[in-house]
Amino acid sequence: MLDMLFTGWGAFWMTLFMLVPFAAMFFYVVYRKSVTDSGPSATPRATLSRLEGIWLTVAFVIFVGVNLASLKFMPLIKAAHAATSNQPLHEVDVSATSWAFDISNRQIEAGSTVRFSGRSKDTMHGFAVYHPDGRMLFTMMLMPGLKNPTTLIHTFNEPGKYKVRCLEYCGIAHHAMMDELTIVKNN
Amino acid sequence: MTIATAIIQKTPIFGRMFPVDKSTGLEEINAWPALMIMASFIWLAVAGLLGFVMPATQIFDLNTDHYYTGLTLHGAALAFPFSFQLMVGVGLHRSGGCVGKAITGWLPAMTFITMNLGAALLTVAVLMGLKVSLIVMYPLPLVGAQMGVWSMNSVIVGFTGIYLVLACMILLYPMLVLKMMFFGKKRPELVLSARTLNDPGMLGMILAALVLLVAGTPLVIVGTTVVGALYGIIPMSMASWATEPVVFQYAFFIFAHNLMEAMAIMVTSALYATLPLYLADGTRKLFSDKLANLALWILLVTSVTSFLHHFITLYPNQPSMLSYWGNIMSWGTGIGAALSIFTIFATIWQHGLRPEPGIMAALIGWVLYILDGASAMVTSNIAWAYQLHGTMWQSGHTMTVIVAMSMMWMGVLYHHYPVMTGRKLDPVLGTWFVRLFTIGGIGAALSMLAAGSAGMPRRFAAWNQEGWMFYGDLIVFFGLILGASFALFVYNMMKSREISAPMGEMATA
Ligand SMILES: [Cu+2]
Repeated sequence: MLDMLFTGWGAFWMTLFMLVPFAAMFFYVVYRKSVTDSGPSATPRATLSRLEGIWLTVAFVIFVGVNLASLKFMPLIKAAHAATSNQPLHEVDVSATSWAFDISNRQIEAGSTVRFSGRSKDTMHGFAVYHPDGRMLFTMMLMPGLKNPTTLIHTFNEPGKYKVRCLEYCGIAHHAMMDELTIVKNN
Repeated sequence: MTIATAIIQKTPIFGRMFPVDKSTGLEEINAWPALMIMASFIWLAVAGLLGFVMPATQIFDLNTDHYYTGLTLHGAALAFPFSFQLMVGVGLHRSGGCVGKAITGWLPAMTFITMNLGAALLTVAVLMGLKVSLIVMYPLPLVGAQMGVWSMNSVIVGFTGIYLVLACMILLYPMLVLKMMFFGKKRPELVLSARTLNDPGMLGMILAALVLLVAGTPLVIVGTTVVGALYGIIPMSMASWATEPVVFQYAFFIFAHNLMEAMAIMVTSALYATLPLYLADGTRKLFSDKLANLALWILLVTSVTSFLHHFITLYPNQPSMLSYWGNIMSWGTGIGAALSIFTIFATIWQHGLRPEPGIMAALIGWVLYILDGASAMVTSNIAWAYQLHGTMWQSGHTMTVIVAMSMMWMGVLYHHYPVMTGRKLDPVLGTWFVRLFTIGGIGAALSMLAAGSAGMPRRFAAWNQEGWMFYGDLIVFFGLILGASFALFVYNMMKSREISAPMGEMATA
């Protein structure tokens, strides 16, 4: 369930989850108090103040809950785990130049955990990996002139062709800056 | 007659929107704001047409260079000379009438000139070949010149333009607001609706000006150094620190992020000030001024450092602690938003609403702004940032925040228009403007967010993959509705009619 929430589409549903009740309430309040009956309301101030307390508490609990639940899905947390465990990491170096990638290893065994280390040689570039079904798995920002690479740890489970795209605008051939990773069956 | 009035009178077509009213003795607070607002709508027309260049290149398979030309000009024109200039115009008119001070002299003139000349220079640079997107993507301008994609001259012209625009936003405009608030003599005949700093409507103006000044200073220092080096005034060796991508990028986003927050704070406070004027029972008061001000302060405190969410995917180059901080602060803005949501709802609930087009436009703009805030919080969560950064989600967020704030200002403008021009607007056209805007604005926002969820990259001239063209078509569809609503707004102003009582309602507010 949470796996579904912390995806691109999960983000969309989360936004709707916040938007729809708000918008419904907005149209209800405006309609009711401008069309149905625009007279002063009889609701005592104390009731409104109590409602306010409830509303702020609900918002606060949702905000904190969502963010706590997301911890498990943060690449930063995965990196921290990898640093303390002895999990074997398959290192892949990525070097980006306008408008191509240099990837140290484009073939990876399914089930292996990869650490991508990316650098840019000229301007800002991105390194985004897409699942064969078209959804984006993750993106990294590669900024030129930094001492250390940008890194990310990801475990590939399904074999297939994974498209790589640059997601930081890098000039007139930006959209042609693509590559591919092949995840092969583990023997 | 002031220079500003003369320019408006000489401007074809758009000049008809703002025949500055001289009969009321208020020309000194009307003229410059009217000119700025008129200029902002000229830029909107340009930006709107350019917005359709991008999907057109994709749907009709045209040269992708045009896509990136459209991208750069559309974004820049929409954000700065349209949205920001509209805010400056309406905002200045508000503060002039609230503190009773004339908007005359060199400062408003320079504010106007730097914004429009800067934006024009940037336009020239883009037409010369500089295609760097709204946010410059530093060091892309220099790298492109080295690769021979565009000329070094286009970089110099473009940077000069950007520099002038920044000077307007970071220095001249905040100086003008602070000068009006704290210096100079109050002239009772110019006071339309006296307000003090305890008033949420005024507090927001000052907070926004201070945010721009403070958050923009690093970028002014970096930008001055880079432009100085480009012109050969400063030796390159002395400018090398400022040309570091990481220095420029952080200075840029500390400003750019807070520019949006400052505009949001201002527009929220403008809504706080306008809503009470349209309450059905004539109360003219918010549910609670204290809560309203508290929301502004929470927004201010949480938003200033939340710019760190722009660099989450740079890990470990942006240390994880800073990313967590950006994540937490971004969601903290949601608490400020929750408070202001309650204040607005409770105010309407208690006192009823006269749903005139102006206040409805401002309220719908605010709904869109809240929708945008939700999308911004979601993408500022570290787990989601890795799924959404660099996708159309971000474009949707940027577009929506700009459109939402512009809409709120246009709603507030409805309210100021009779004072500026002595004319009134057609309520039927106004209602249709609000309806079309509601559908176009919310539809375009959700289409772009959905495109991002589907992994469609932003600033990317190849929509013919993974079924992304579908989202492109949706965005065009709602974009056309949005464009029609703006066109209707402009048409309404051109068709406005004299009112017999030229002071309008604002004068007694
Ligand atoms: Cu690239």
